[in-house]
Amino acid sequence: MARLRSIKELQGLQRRIRSRLDQRETLITVCAGTACQACGANDVQRVIKRRLIERDLVDRIRLRITGCHGFCEMGPFVVTEPQSAFYPKIDTRDVPRIVDALLADEYVEDLLYRDPMTDAACYRRDDIPFFAKQHRTLLGKNQRLDPIRLFGYFAQGGYESLGRALTEFTPEGIIDEIRRAGLRGRGGAGFPTAEKWEMARRQAGVEKYVVCNADEGDPGAYMDRSILEGNPHSVIEGMAIGGLAVGATSGFVFVRQEYPLAVKHLLIALRLAREYGLLGTNILGTGFDFDVEIVKSAGAFVCGEETALIRCVEGTVGEPRQKPPFPTEKGIGGRPTCINNVETWANVPEIIAVGADEFARVGTPTSGGTKVFSVVGKVMNTGLVEVPIGTSIKEVVYEIGGGPLYGSKIKAVQIGGPSGGCVPHREFDLPLSYDSLEKAGAMMGSGGMIVMDDDTCMVDVAKYFMSFLKQESCGKCFTCRKGTQRLWEILDDITRGRGRLEQLDLLEELGQTVADSSMCGLGRSAANPVLSTLRYFRDEYERHIVDKRCDAYVCKELTGAACQAACPVGTEAWRYAALIARGEYVEAYRVIRERNPFPSVCARVCDHKCEQQCLLGAAGQQPVALRALKRFVTDRVDPSVHEPERHSEPGAAEKRVAVVGAGPAGLTTAHGLSLKGYRTTVFEAEDRPGGMLISGIPAYRLPRDVLQKEIDALIDENVTLCCGTRLGRDFTVDSLLEDGYDGVFLALGAHNSRRMGIDGEDMAGVYPSIEFLKAWNLRSESLASGKVGVIGGGNSAIDAARVAVRQAGVSEVTVFYRRTRQEMPAYEEEIEGALEEGVKLELLVSPVGLFGKKRRLAEVEFVKNELGEVDAGGRRRPVPKPGSEHRVPLDTLIVAIGEQAASIGPKTCAGIEMAGGAVVVDERTLTTKRPGVFAGGDLATGPNTVIAAIAAGWRAAEVIDRYLRGRDLCQAAEPRLPRAYVEPLAAEEEVQFAAPRAKAPTAPAAQRVHNFDEVEATVTVEDASREARRCLRCDLEFTERPQGADALRKAGGGDR
Amino acid sequence: MITLTLNGLTVEAENGSTLLEVAQFYGFPIPTLCHMEGLSPYGACRLCLVEIGEGARSRLVSSCTYRAEEGLKVRTASSRVVRTRKMVLELLLGSCPQSKTIQDLAAAHGVRQQRFRQEYEDCILCGLCARICEQQMMANAIGFRGRGENRTMGAPFDIKSDVCRLCGACIYVCPTCELRCTFTEPEKAICGGCANLSPPCVHADKFDDMMCFMNPCVACEIE
Repeated sequence: MARLRSIKELQGLQRRIRSRLDQRETLITVCAGTACQACGANDVQRVIKRRLIERDLVDRIRLRITGCHGFCEMGPFVVTEPQSAFYPKIDTRDVPRIVDALLADEYVEDLLYRDPMTDAACYRRDDIPFFAKQHRTLLGKNQRLDPIRLFGYFAQGGYESLGRALTEFTPEGIIDEIRRAGLRGRGGAGFPTAEKWEMARRQAGVEKYVVCNADEGDPGAYMDRSILEGNPHSVIEGMAIGGLAVGATSGFVFVRQEYPLAVKHLLIALRLAREYGLLGTNILGTGFDFDVEIVKSAGAFVCGEETALIRCVEGTVGEPRQKPPFPTEKGIGGRPTCINNVETWANVPEIIAVGADEFARVGTPTSGGTKVFSVVGKVMNTGLVEVPIGTSIKEVVYEIGGGPLYGSKIKAVQIGGPSGGCVPHREFDLPLSYDSLEKAGAMMGSGGMIVMDDDTCMVDVAKYFMSFLKQESCGKCFTCRKGTQRLWEILDDITRGRGRLEQLDLLEELGQTVADSSMCGLGRSAANPVLSTLRYFRDEYERHIVDKRCDAYVCKELTGAACQAACPVGTEAWRYAALIARGEYVEAYRVIRERNPFPSVCARVCDHKCEQQCLLGAAGQQPVALRALKRFVTDRVDPSVHEPERHSEPGAAEKRVAVVGAGPAGLTTAHGLSLKGYRTTVFEAEDRPGGMLISGIPAYRLPRDVLQKEIDALIDENVTLCCGTRLGRDFTVDSLLEDGYDGVFLALGAHNSRRMGIDGEDMAGVYPSIEFLKAWNLRSESLASGKVGVIGGGNSAIDAARVAVRQAGVSEVTVFYRRTRQEMPAYEEEIEGALEEGVKLELLVSPVGLFGKKRRLAEVEFVKNELGEVDAGGRRRPVPKPGSEHRVPLDTLIVAIGEQAASIGPKTCAGIEMAGGAVVVDERTLTTKRPGVFAGGDLATGPNTVIAAIAAGWRAAEVIDRYLRGRDLCQAAEPRLPRAYVEPLAAEEEVQFAAPRAKAPTAPAAQRVHNFDEVEATVTVEDASREARRCLRCDLEFTERPQGADALRKAGGGDR
Repeated sequence: MITLTLNGLTVEAENGSTLLEVAQFYGFPIPTLCHMEGLSPYGACRLCLVEIGEGARSRLVSSCTYRAEEGLKVRTASSRVVRTRKMVLELLLGSCPQSKTIQDLAAAHGVRQQRFRQEYEDCILCGLCARICEQQMMANAIGFRGRGENRTMGAPFDIKSDVCRLCGACIYVCPTCELRCTFTEPEKAICGGCANLSPPCVHADKFDDMMCFMNPCVACEIE
């Protein structure tokens, strides 16, 4: 190709190219950025090529291979034009259908992108929320051009800006244009680009340099790579314009060795630019000389620091030096050097092309234009996101990023890589701009945004970044080198359960010292990960240190086996699973019963936190069905095999404790105290013990004989049960203490339904869910009739619906919930069960009015909702749609919008404090403001699970024992690690963990709606055994095979 | 000549002189470890920090590498400087407690605790040895290797360099390998400073014959 000798020739070429451009051209675009190549984009591209050649379509369909489009989650994907259809995550087998559809100008429906919220297909690429809500000035070009050909760039107006800069602008004019555009350094610090250029320009001297800093080392950030890969000419053009402005004749691109594709595309681009006379001597006949060289970085993070970069380019060790003198005064070889980030350079041609005013319209007043963020981590749509500077974090994470992965809650984002900081969820309204982020303790950095959810431990995050920094610090400044090591060391101690509270202050003090005393930017920001997590998540640090708990189950030494750590009572789930796999069912029962006095109850109604944390689930498989295994064992083994260990404290028999409430919390406390030799009296307001287990949970989930058996087993000679006695009516806490009880444990539960606050709630036919359930469960009284509506989306609502559907005289049951099904707090299997039984679900509606006839409910008015902004809880808030009110005829309305504890007044117990429908207690010791009076269970926490109540019961027994013996109530926490060794099965006996999870058989829906028989049955022996073998046995990492285990096995241990 | 404010005094300094030189000239003490006259300034030990600027924009810089600027406001012992310097010394004690030089500096600055896990290293990577080798002995036999926590000082590939003349200058300038406190091994001790106190590590009688020429030992007081 001939060299372009003048600007006229360039313009002529561009005109020719543009005149040949066909806007309605039929075309397939394949994204072949590094991420998509890793997912198989190269195969897709080859198959498309072959298809086009085989079908002789080469003239009709053009194939365009581009750099990164940014939607890396969906790779490999193709876009077809002119329909602009976007086909994500395709396979080579899908190619023929896509090509055929393109020829027929149609869409392949089933391959189109679907909105995960609504499941609606997005036909045009720009309909996809991920793309629609961005402002893609830089990335938008990537998808329109082939980076290894210059024509694509020319067609987009490429090098036009250079031409204009050479003819229409003076160097000062260029700098002025950049200044008015408000461009600030995209490398992270946000220094005004024009200022830097001005400084370099003012320096005397013939030789000056411009440098493109592409040493992008932040974990999780890759926008520079994408720009270099996808649009290298924009960077070259920007550098040429910059060179013209500052008076430099040569430039360097300092690029990571680890970016081979970027280097390759850049090399090709440089060669093409030289061939066309856009680089070299006498560019476009204007007498301007400029050329660019590539310098490959040695791969150290610190080399991205500009003074270290200069030394690297010079060929010495990359080690920062004191500024001033700044690089613009003394840079490479002592000559003025202007260093800018890739993204900054890529913005320069854009500014010249559209004009400063137009450019500055986007962004904030102090900082114009867009910024590319790489959104990665625990978010639906990972990828590159380009938004105007000043966009809120919320918008980027939720609207473009698609929000959290299923079932989790976003906790924070880490912005700016190792030098940046964490911004917690409650600060998500923060605009993404240089100044606001710095104020929040983070930093724009290169724009890496790592989204973190509940499964991320913030201490571990800080530790990860410190381990990165202690390796990547150059090591020159003593405080940065040693300080990062020491920070890591302390964090490591904390994650291993060896931390002390005073170390938190030391962390802060040391962090401040490192930040204050280091020479370069790396050291000055090195403590940010620690300081920002400490600032926003100090409670998590304290939880690690005081409670020895990692609530994200990440820190191994504090978690052990996640199933055990997740269980509120610490059941060794891994152990009974292992024993079931070995056929030792009796031993398995003992393991379950040891920590849980209600094993058969929990085998049916537990919310199985163990399964939620199972590593198999986290690894993308289905978690081990631990609750089903528990059910299998409790159904098979007679409870009498468990002999509880009793160790009576001396003098315990003389002490008496009163327990108020015979629910799971109260009965567990009584049982725990009985094992220690204390005598307890349990007072129960209803006629039967069981609390919520009996009054709230319907019999089809928990058969009454099973429950009764377990309660009976707990009432031993140390426990006296007084039913039908109500606190406040028959006795008070004061009277109990006067009667000689040495301690009182309040476990009354939360039995008061919350009210909707709508007129007419007291009308006949409107019932709080607890009243409705109690009427049936305790008195077999059926309150529902005709058309029944249930308000709410929790377990209580579903229970009420499923009870109502079984009652005679009920024609249909509908559950009305104000959000979508994804947000329903009820257990998924319960919702499934209800739907099978014919319960209808009305979503996104809220009741606003009740209308009766003759003082009995006849109609309920609802308003439709749509999901609005994300609230503090991480769920999208329902917003009523005005004018969508409509009435639904209903005969019965059951209100299940939450429960709270009944108020305990000062007359019942002086000195007790209530807040938000619960008694205020110290979380660790369950003590109330009144000495000797303890409270736990739903009464103290609000409505909670059975297993949480049992855990509170155990804790109360422990604390009351300590109280009665006059000891310190607080016990030093210990991590619950696996201790017992269970011989693993031989490798050939193990089951592939990818095997499907065992499912308990259920009674057919048609049959079960007519009675209250148990719905779920037990799994078979084969299924249980297979299921137990899927367990990954996380415990084996913590236990050791005892000496002589072989001998034991040969002797025939076990009780098969 | 340029004019700047040093601890509230308006002082004059020669163009190109460092803040450390100016402060020393006017008699303000600034502790140093990696600085030595005749060698190029390096800025590794961070002991010579001073605070420059005012208000929210003030920052700490190493005075040995920072050149005096016209109108600059410098404080050599502001609370921020002192606090940071103490932490630097605490970090140094955590790594090299047996260095008499470090002990003395720590003692002089009132550092009486060391809250990190105790290490016993021989080197704080101040780079004096490499600089004297290169700049005064014209040998350039040793230098830094690696980065971050893996940074070490030594000859390439740990093989004795051909250009090394075994002159010993590197040992002469080292702040940690000369004058090593040996704690409870009095026969090897170079100083009985701690014998004047009653530190936990010393059986006083064994140190009686020793001359004390340094400040009391800090290493003994730390855990």
